[in-house]
Amino acid sequence: MFDLSFVWNGHSILFLILAVCVISGAVFMLNFSKIIHMVVSLAFTFVGLAGVYVLLEAEFVAAVQILVYAGAISILMIFGIMMTKHDELEESPRIQWKGVFAALGCVALFVAIFFAIRSTSFPTAPATGPLAEDNTLELGKQIFTAHVIPFELLSVLLTVAFIGAIVVAKHEDAEESEAVSSPSQKEAE
Amino acid sequence: MSSMLASYLTLAAILFCIGLYGVLTKRSAVIVLLSIELMLNAVNLNLIAFSKYGVVPSLKGQVFSLFNIAIAAAEVAVGIAILIALYRNRGTTNVDEFNELRN
Amino acid sequence: MESVYAQYVWAVPMVPLLAFLVLTLARCVVKGSAAFIGVGSSLIACVLSILILLERLMANTDVYTVNVEWLSFGTVHFELGYELTNLNALMLVIVTVVSTLVNLYAKGYMADDERQTVFFAYIGLFTFSMLGLVISPNLLQLYVFWELVGVCSFLLIGFWYERPAARAAAKKAFIMTRIGDVGLLIAILILFWQMPNHALDFQSIAQVFASVDTMSQFGISAGLATWIASLIFLGAIGKSGQFPLHTWLPDAMEGPTPISALIHAATMVAAGVYLVARTFDIFQVSQTAMFIVASVGGFTAIFAATIAVAQRDMKRILAYSTVSQLGYMMLALGLGAVTAGIFHLFTHAFFKALLFLGAGSVIHAVHTQHIFKINGRARHMKITAWTFAIGALALSGVPPLSGFWSKDAILSVAWESNKLLFVIGVVTAFLTAFYMSRLFFIVFTRTKRVHTESVDSPIHESPAVMTIPLVVLAILAVVAGFVYTPFYSGFETWLTGVAASDHTNVIVIIVSTLVALSGIGLGYFIYGPNGVREDQWSSVIKPLYYLVERKYYVDELYKLFAVYPLKVLGKVLDVFDRYIIDGLVRYTASCTVQFGKLFTRMQNGQLQSYGLLSVCGFSALLLLLLLLGKGLW
Repeated sequence: MFDLSFVWNGHSILFLILAVCVISGAVFMLNFSKIIHMVVSLAFTFVGLAGVYVLLEAEFVAAVQILVYAGAISILMIFGIMMTKHDELEESPRIQWKGVFAALGCVALFVAIFFAIRSTSFPTAPATGPLAEDNTLELGKQIFTAHVIPFELLSVLLTVAFIGAIVVAKHEDAEESEAVSSPSQKEAE
Repeated sequence: MSSMLASYLTLAAILFCIGLYGVLTKRSAVIVLLSIELMLNAVNLNLIAFSKYGVVPSLKGQVFSLFNIAIAAAEVAVGIAILIALYRNRGTTNVDEFNELRN
Repeated sequence: MESVYAQYVWAVPMVPLLAFLVLTLARCVVKGSAAFIGVGSSLIACVLSILILLERLMANTDVYTVNVEWLSFGTVHFELGYELTNLNALMLVIVTVVSTLVNLYAKGYMADDERQTVFFAYIGLFTFSMLGLVISPNLLQLYVFWELVGVCSFLLIGFWYERPAARAAAKKAFIMTRIGDVGLLIAILILFWQMPNHALDFQSIAQVFASVDTMSQFGISAGLATWIASLIFLGAIGKSGQFPLHTWLPDAMEGPTPISALIHAATMVAAGVYLVARTFDIFQVSQTAMFIVASVGGFTAIFAATIAVAQRDMKRILAYSTVSQLGYMMLALGLGAVTAGIFHLFTHAFFKALLFLGAGSVIHAVHTQHIFKINGRARHMKITAWTFAIGALALSGVPPLSGFWSKDAILSVAWESNKLLFVIGVVTAFLTAFYMSRLFFIVFTRTKRVHTESVDSPIHESPAVMTIPLVVLAILAVVAGFVYTPFYSGFETWLTGVAASDHTNVIVIIVSTLVALSGIGLGYFIYGPNGVREDQWSSVIKPLYYLVERKYYVDELYKLFAVYPLKVLGKVLDVFDRYIIDGLVRYTASCTVQFGKLFTRMQNGQLQSYGLLSVCGFSALLLLLLLLGKGLW
């Protein structure tokens, strides 16, 4: 019905190892009970994904992936966890119908996507040479020539998002302290 | 080489479904956000795989995934900020205790 | 001769209708003058009817008909209109005269009632309906007015609706007459179905049913004619209180006394007799139907008369007397003597209205209807007593008062055609005389044995506004009989259009006179000033007395055989309705509610649940596509 053949070569073996890392990181994220462990295992997944990107000749994206995801976002998450109080144990012991249904739905979705992927014949690429001699250089050229307007818009978006984040997190704080605590307590704080 | 593309896509699908499961079942809002990141990563993987093995291989997929990563970073920042604000108001970050949509 | 007043016949019912509308719509404005409007309107109608009657008496005996089209369905036309015959004209006069006098009387009788305006409005509506019924040219229109008088009767019996008995009586009257009305309706439907051109007017009916030959010519079998006649008679039984549907009429005495006089003695209950007389052609072609009418009438006459002997309520005695006299009229009609029947209707209307109004006068003064509680206290009411005596004598059939002549007319017909019915008539006449004298002597002449009453407040005569109608009616009760004596038959010729011979029958005259006098004599012997006590003689024939006093247990029998089974059926249906029909409805409703609750629980406001649902739905759709083999795209 569909092509399940797998070519065994260095590339594919490397892919398999990385894929196992990535998936195991994700699955551990689901199964750990401590939240901090979850974040760490997901960081592992992100690093594995960076490896996969390298396999796909996207070195710059891999570097960005490690910087942003494994670095910044994971740290941000850890900060988020630290700033909010959390129950020690994430999962409740009993089997929740919600979880069962979610698992069923996700598996069904996966089955559908899997069938779609496997039953589609992708046309082979005409040229199999490397995409670019210098990946980062080519990317820079692309971004600053063809995609310069999205890039600039993205910078605006980032600025707005960070200012917004600060305002959202800060504003409530000020309001609450005004509303709840008396001036003397403020002084003490 | 097309089978490699299918493998990458399958890997992306697996990651996406795991992320989706996490979004649907995890009680902690932080983990829900993380699961969303995982789903976004699956998308990025698709983009990059197609940029190499697509009908017309080009760097545009990588450019797009870079934009994606930047936007995901912004999203996480805003998400965490909202989470902290919510925590200030409700004293919890458990998703199943947020039922404002009901009213 | 060109008719002058006949073309204004339509105005006769319209005046009371106008009065009704004014009294109803402008109730607050005319509050003080309600009685004047009532009396005035009926007086106008009365004068007009008398003029019409006089005109017809002079010369014009043609039937005067005016019709306008009412409804039209293809080839079927319903018409509205009015018709004037000699019978009509006579009925118009009876209705309007009694109505006028009752209106006048009610002005005094109802003077203290808060809802006086409503009362006069109802009387106006009733008068309108009754007059409309009388001048209806076709059966359908008659049926409409027939029901209207039924409604008025219902409203007026239940006029004092705060009394439970009045409410029950009103309902009873409405339902009992309704049973008869269904028969009439079916008869009309059969006629509509069978008559050529679906004509329902009386002239066509008269033509078709002129004889057995013409009837078969139009394709109506004799059996069908019997059915039609019997069903029409069923309507008459209901309205005229004939056995077995008579029980509502005595109960109807819960209404105000003027109403009892107007509706339940003089006019509406006579509508049944009028109906039979009007459709007499149908009855005439069927011997069976005639026999039914005669036997029901005769049985009712003697049956009700025996009940009246033992009643203790003044108005109920009169009510049973009415039933009995209506039976007399039916008896006459059943024997083919339309003139005698209508003549008795004519005289009866006056003396029975007189008796009721007299009774009302007494009740108004002593505030009780129980004759043994009145017990002679009414003897101070001279005018009432004298006029009541005239009415009682007329009803008893003492010559030369009107009742004697009309009764004599009926008895002589019975003498000639059916000896058994003659005997029944004579016995009834005897009983009538007896119970009337019993009533009169107890109420007006008793002087001794007043040990029951401790407070004997002085009894005063009623005001003039109430006594004048009594006097007028008393005069009419005396003279009304002379229009049709055994020695003068012009009335019959005028009424039926057929030349009639005098019906002098000396034996009948002697017998009926003797019977009336002996009845009165027996009454005087037992109940007169020096009579024996009732309980002394009633103990002699105690079982019979109880049987009669309880009205032959007809009401109880109805309760046993009609009311209880219906109630049981109702209960069963109620249970069925409550637990099966309602159960199904409630089950459906609760299913929906439960279903809704399910979805309410789903809508718990948690984002994850919503996401889960969309994922599940999306996956299900995808898998469905796959399973159906359509491919994903």
